[in-house]
Amino acid sequence: MTEAAGPNLEALLADALRPIEPPEDLSGRVEETLSKVTEAAATQLSEWADELTESELAALRDPRNWVRPVAAVAAGGIAGTALVVLELRRRRRTPGALRGIADDLRQLIE
Amino acid sequence: MSPAKPQQGPAAPPADPATKAELDRAFEDLYRAHLRDVYSYSYYRVGNHHDAEDLTEQTFLQAYRHFERARRESNGRPLRPWLIRIAHNLASNYHRDRARRPTAVLDSANPISHPHATEQVVEGREELREVIHGLTDLPDDRRDALIMRFALGMSNREIARALGRTDGATKVLIHRAIKQLEENLDAERGEGTDDD
Repeated sequence: MTEAAGPNLEALLADALRPIEPPEDLSGRVEETLSKVTEAAATQLSEWADELTESELAALRDPRNWVRPVAAVAAGGIAGTALVVLELRRRRRTPGALRGIADDLRQLIE
Repeated sequence: MSPAKPQQGPAAPPADPATKAELDRAFEDLYRAHLRDVYSYSYYRVGNHHDAEDLTEQTFLQAYRHFERARRESNGRPLRPWLIRIAHNLASNYHRDRARRPTAVLDSANPISHPHATEQVVEGREELREVIHGLTDLPDDRRDALIMRFALGMSNREIARALGRTDGATKVLIHRAIKQLEENLDAERGEGTDDD
């Protein structure tokens, strides 16, 4: 082998790592796959859009209507939190109620 | 609205067809400009045309899915490093998957990272064959950086973006890669002389 040092090695690397031309059919294959993906996405979108009436589409585009779902999610969150708080309170009260019954029993016995 | 309809969310109004067409055109330009780069990189990473074709196709599919965002976030910078980064990650996954398979023993006997067919590309020139062999012995990041530099002609900055490193770190990486390759080749030459 020739001396592969410094700039010579870089020249050898450039020679060894020449760009590879893709096979001719690859270009067509990739384009076909991309077309299929695009068509599938477009079909899906148009099918979905077809199911909507004009007024529904207009409503979707109107940012003022985007507040409603956010409000619904927020209301759901608040309701869920309230349920958790109530359940915690109920659990906290249970030992107290038992204590009350035990006190009543003790008074009856005495 | 019917409750059975898909919940697209209020922030996803139907895409403007004109914008979509423009986006597709831009992607087509990107695809035509860099098909050879992606294919070359894939080929030198996997070492055979069949898998290189699959990897190239997957790279462009993934790029297409995220093209709009990439273009928005690139601020006009070239997208080649982004494309090569996708190919780079897919090639890493490819090798990881192959290593997990039970056939790994056979693979290691005939390393998949070894670009067998590349030896045909270099048309029998012994010194080039040795360089290719030397490349396969380098750590992955050094080998990948050299492929980007010499097969794709990428600048340090482009390589840095593709590998997610700083410009300075990339410059050092390439310098060390060439130095290590040179040392490996010298060592092999020494061994060859000893055998004679």
